[in-house]
Amino acid sequence: MGKYILKRCGYIVIVFLILSFLMYSLYNLIPTDPARQELEPMRQGLKADEYEVLYKQTRARMGLDDPLVVRYLRWMGLWKDMDGTFNGIVEGNFGYSNLYKRNVIEVIQAPMGNTIFINIFSTIAALGITIPLGIYCAVHKGKRFDSVTQVVTMLGYSIPVYIIALIFMFVFCVFWRIFPIMGQKTAGAVYANAWEEFVDMLYHICLPVIVMTFGSLGGMTRYVRSSMIDALSMDYIRTARAKGLKEKVVIYSHAWRNALLPVITSILGWFLGVFSGSVIIENTFSLNGMGKLYWAGLNNLDFELVLAIQMFYSVVSLVGSLLIDISYGLVDPRVRVDK
Amino acid sequence: MKKIVALLLAAMMLMGLVGAQAEDAHQLIYGATTEISGDFAPGAWWTNNATDKMLRDFTNDCSTVVTDQGGADIVNYTVAESVEGVMNDDGTKTYTVKIKDGLKFNNGEDITIKDFVWATAFGCSSVAADVGAKLTSYLTVVGGQEYYDGTADTITGLHIVDDNTLSIQVVADKVPYYFDITYAGFTAFSMKYWLGDAVDIKDDGNGVYFEGLTKDAIADTLEAARFNASETRVSAGPYNLVEFDQASKQATLVINPYYAGNFEGQKPSIEKIIITKAEDATWADALKTGAFNFYDTMTDGTQINQAMDIIEDEANKAALGYGFDFTQFNRPGYGKIMFQSDFGPTQFVAVRKAIAHLLDRAEFANTFCAGWGGVVNGPYGTAMWMYQDAEEWLDENLDNYAYNPDQAVELLVNDGWVLDENGNDYVEGIRYKKVTAEEAGQYVHNVTLDDGTILMPLIIEWSSSEGNSVSDLLAVMLANGEQTAAAGVKINQNVMTFSELLNYMYRDASQGDKYGVPTYGMFNLATNFTPEYDQSYSFTLDPDMVAQGYNTDFIFDEQLDKLSMDMVYGVEAGDSETYLDLWQQFIARWNELLPELPLYSNVYVSVYPDWLENYTQDSYWDFEQAILYATIAE
Repeated sequence: MGKYILKRCGYIVIVFLILSFLMYSLYNLIPTDPARQELEPMRQGLKADEYEVLYKQTRARMGLDDPLVVRYLRWMGLWKDMDGTFNGIVEGNFGYSNLYKRNVIEVIQAPMGNTIFINIFSTIAALGITIPLGIYCAVHKGKRFDSVTQVVTMLGYSIPVYIIALIFMFVFCVFWRIFPIMGQKTAGAVYANAWEEFVDMLYHICLPVIVMTFGSLGGMTRYVRSSMIDALSMDYIRTARAKGLKEKVVIYSHAWRNALLPVITSILGWFLGVFSGSVIIENTFSLNGMGKLYWAGLNNLDFELVLAIQMFYSVVSLVGSLLIDISYGLVDPRVRVDK
Repeated sequence: MKKIVALLLAAMMLMGLVGAQAEDAHQLIYGATTEISGDFAPGAWWTNNATDKMLRDFTNDCSTVVTDQGGADIVNYTVAESVEGVMNDDGTKTYTVKIKDGLKFNNGEDITIKDFVWATAFGCSSVAADVGAKLTSYLTVVGGQEYYDGTADTITGLHIVDDNTLSIQVVADKVPYYFDITYAGFTAFSMKYWLGDAVDIKDDGNGVYFEGLTKDAIADTLEAARFNASETRVSAGPYNLVEFDQASKQATLVINPYYAGNFEGQKPSIEKIIITKAEDATWADALKTGAFNFYDTMTDGTQINQAMDIIEDEANKAALGYGFDFTQFNRPGYGKIMFQSDFGPTQFVAVRKAIAHLLDRAEFANTFCAGWGGVVNGPYGTAMWMYQDAEEWLDENLDNYAYNPDQAVELLVNDGWVLDENGNDYVEGIRYKKVTAEEAGQYVHNVTLDDGTILMPLIIEWSSSEGNSVSDLLAVMLANGEQTAAAGVKINQNVMTFSELLNYMYRDASQGDKYGVPTYGMFNLATNFTPEYDQSYSFTLDPDMVAQGYNTDFIFDEQLDKLSMDMVYGVEAGDSETYLDLWQQFIARWNELLPELPLYSNVYVSVYPDWLENYTQDSYWDFEQAILYATIAE
């Protein structure tokens, strides 16, 4: 097992390097000039020679005149930076945001915290609803509740999340006025203690979490249901029932444990997804999360920011897929790699 | 199941109560369309975000020169005792500025002369560039360049004369300048707060210089000061920035009790202002439900009409406990078609004029602005004092290029667009014109006949940015319009990203050889004019400046270039009469050459709660300035 993990870690490093070079090259192919962008607001107040000097200085400071490979290696921290030091990803410097004019790592902190906070709630809520619901529907397959659930989950699955968001906003924020329509805190609120602040934040993220949960009900419910139906039709279930085991034991100890195999990959995928924000939800509810930041980075051609986010997601995906493979082996002894 | 639903509902209601308790009846909550980045450094030293700028203006308003309600630069006598300018024999100009006693920062500390001087001196130091700040005062101050280059120990043109007085000597090639009073503009920033205790600024008689100023000495202090929004932030404006929640991107401003007042001595009375982010998709519902109650400078006519519905919604007023009011003002700029006038068909003024006559601009403006906008006939906004002073003259002397396809055809015929692709007389389809080799250039659509005659077709390549509603309307009303085809004109729309559009517009070959080739004769863009109306290099003939993107119209007209330069560099500060005369001549020449075609000039609307009184906003009198005069209704 250890050897397998080491081998996979080696692959991760290789894939990361190839991916990082490809991504860096792709962004550098986009015809844009960061030095010109930076000087644009000052242009009118400068004479030709003044502009030329400043433009050259800015290009030199940004290292834009060096070949692509040098710039890539510098970004990775494998080539000396303009100040003569090694200062790249390898050294823990994820780049400098041209949009926010500060280090990417500082720009990412608050949105990442928000995204994880919101996603943990929506993931737990979604799994807490979909797994029991899927099992219940599978056990009561074809009954009225199952049919109704199929229709409702199909609706949640089919309607785009921004439509769901707007409908929920109208119902809960404009019509009933139960929830705030946007933001993460009450404007101008003065909190007596941290608990009050926490509750206010919970109150503000309630609706986004409900919308995210509703939007994700369909897929997982149907997945669990289908997996359970397959498991319940197996011979060992018939045998268990024939032995006179209680129905609960048959369902949860025999059927569910086997149905869990295909479901676990999805569940792990969901938990890994807590790092990634939703562009639509965050923009609609004015939440400062990773999706919104990523969108802003792309729109403003802030490539170091975008690259850092993408490389982070790449690592999460690569490590995630390793974890899924390992967990798969843990759940199903038949696929253990050391057997 | 019922129990779970009941519990959930109960939890939701409880949270609703907790949230509702925090709201204040008369709290001004400003919905900003641009997200706060959190960089609150002076000026646009690093970032240039609109909402950040607004917050900076709220906290830094202790300047010797400011703009008034009409956008004119004036001396702020709340801060300055006197400002005197003298022309020197060597062509430089010296401004001596005397500061008033008793000015204080928001922490109660006295503002010293050093707090006014250091920022300009910092802009003359290479350390500013080392820390990434975009400052260019070294280009303006005598001795600045030498200090920047490290060949001089002092900035000879910048002096601390005494505890209340400073002087600045402006380099000869920057004066006379109509707006040169801005060179005497110094704003108080706490040197201790921004640079730390280790740095000092001195003047031994040969000009100011820094002691202890290195990148390492100031980098951490400067970084902390930039992003600090708390009670410890030292500033000198009407409001203190006491909180910026990075997670929710929400800023809180409270009144600065030490504020001396604006140039009219006006101090604010609204205790607290919250700045939060408004989203395009949900701003109307947010306004309706009180998530914010101030929505500034709406530009879209459809949005404005939606806001009017909210203002008239009595049921919502009852639910919210207050209603809304609005103020409207004209945009200091316009949306436009920009021609590149040095190649292809658009190099001919008759073609540019014909296109103007082929577009019903009044209808275009009305449709695009949904009734909240109009048309101008030159590079100005109707909010400018020049326009207001010369309105009658402009009406009488400018061509308004009214919609008239027949006149467009007449212009084209008179200009020689009378042939077809074979060189025969034009009957239908696209018009062609016999051109010289110089006029033909490398235009891709040219046709060369067997006898060597070069024909240029009236095909205009148009670069339009993606997802742009102006482009969509232009395509319908102009490019694909029947009148355009009937006139023998073909306009090809080419949709691209905005950055690609800019590459073509600047002909930036460094981004790829294709961008260096003149390709598109027409672009649709928008522009706003600042109070300092300075077009000095916009029509330059200097090839170096053109290569750097100063004259993006690529129009080379000596008269236009001279007028645009003389208007600001040939007029003494304060000589409004001469300035206005040159401005009119410039506008008339521009209108005659038509390097751009103004499409629409919006009416802007700001919505505010009806408990706010005495609120008056204008193009050059923004929220942060106007709110000082506002009061809460009894």
